[in-house]
Amino acid sequence: MGFGVSGSTAVIFLGVLIASGTLYTAAAGSAEQISDARDGDSEDLLDRRNTEIDIASVVYDNDSDALEIDVRNTGTTTLSVNGTSVLVDNEHEPSASTAVEGDGGTDVWGGDQTLVINISDVSAEPDRVKVIAENGVADSNSTVEVI
Amino acid sequence: MADVSVPSLILFIASIVIAAGVAGVLIDTVTGISGALDDRGADVADNIRTDIEIISSAESGVYDGTNQTVTLYVKNTGRRTLPATGETFDVIVDAQYRTNVSVDVVDGGDEWTPHGVVEVQIGDLNLGTGDHRIALTVDGDEEIFRFNL
Repeated sequence: MGFGVSGSTAVIFLGVLIASGTLYTAAAGSAEQISDARDGDSEDLLDRRNTEIDIASVVYDNDSDALEIDVRNTGTTTLSVNGTSVLVDNEHEPSASTAVEGDGGTDVWGGDQTLVINISDVSAEPDRVKVIAENGVADSNSTVEVI
Repeated sequence: MADVSVPSLILFIASIVIAAGVAGVLIDTVTGISGALDDRGADVADNIRTDIEIISSAESGVYDGTNQTVTLYVKNTGRRTLPATGETFDVIVDAQYRTNVSVDVVDGGDEWTPHGVVEVQIGDLNLGTGDHRIALTVDGDEEIFRFNL
């Protein structure tokens, strides 16, 4: 009887050990995933709070149907040019050519730098222009200068 | 001697078998819970990484009365690539669930990558004048768009 009790105790103990091992691995992995995601989320939130953009001027050329938008990064977060979206009269303009401080090939739009967005084939003078940075921070301008 | 040993042996084997059964059930149950915990963790992490933003302005122009559609631009401001299909979105317009939703990636590419913009068209909408409210939900992230006609 003595062997029976110790044997079954050992078997149950082994079972509890394996079960707690499995549970710990899953719980730790899960907690790590969530904590990683939360870390990333708070970093994004910090970036968002440090982001501010300001549309300095919007110029519409009546002859060539071209629209030039000058946007200044007045925050401290370095933004992506390719991640920036433009809405002209609430319509998305995917085919805009861009330049940061004269450089047309760059994707880096740093703090205090001005992004110049050129859009061609804008048939009529737009009423409202909205520029949205990669993280959703936006600025709009309804004062369009016509030349 | 043999009279004592046989019942003892039977009891020994029985106790070991019962203990093994209990341990087996315990391991099986805990493995199930662990699997569920793992899946739940991955889902919650995905939900945290998902973030969208409606970038359209709240103008009456978003509603096309002729085709009875509302067109909204939605930007992926999270860290995950999302599937650009109507099934990704749960759309509620004025407290009614809408299924006629089509989604197109408008800034090039086939996938709705982070920083990408999609055009969401909600059809079969017969909206009158007044205030309207659209709720878009993607993986637990809800965005509200209110506009006036």
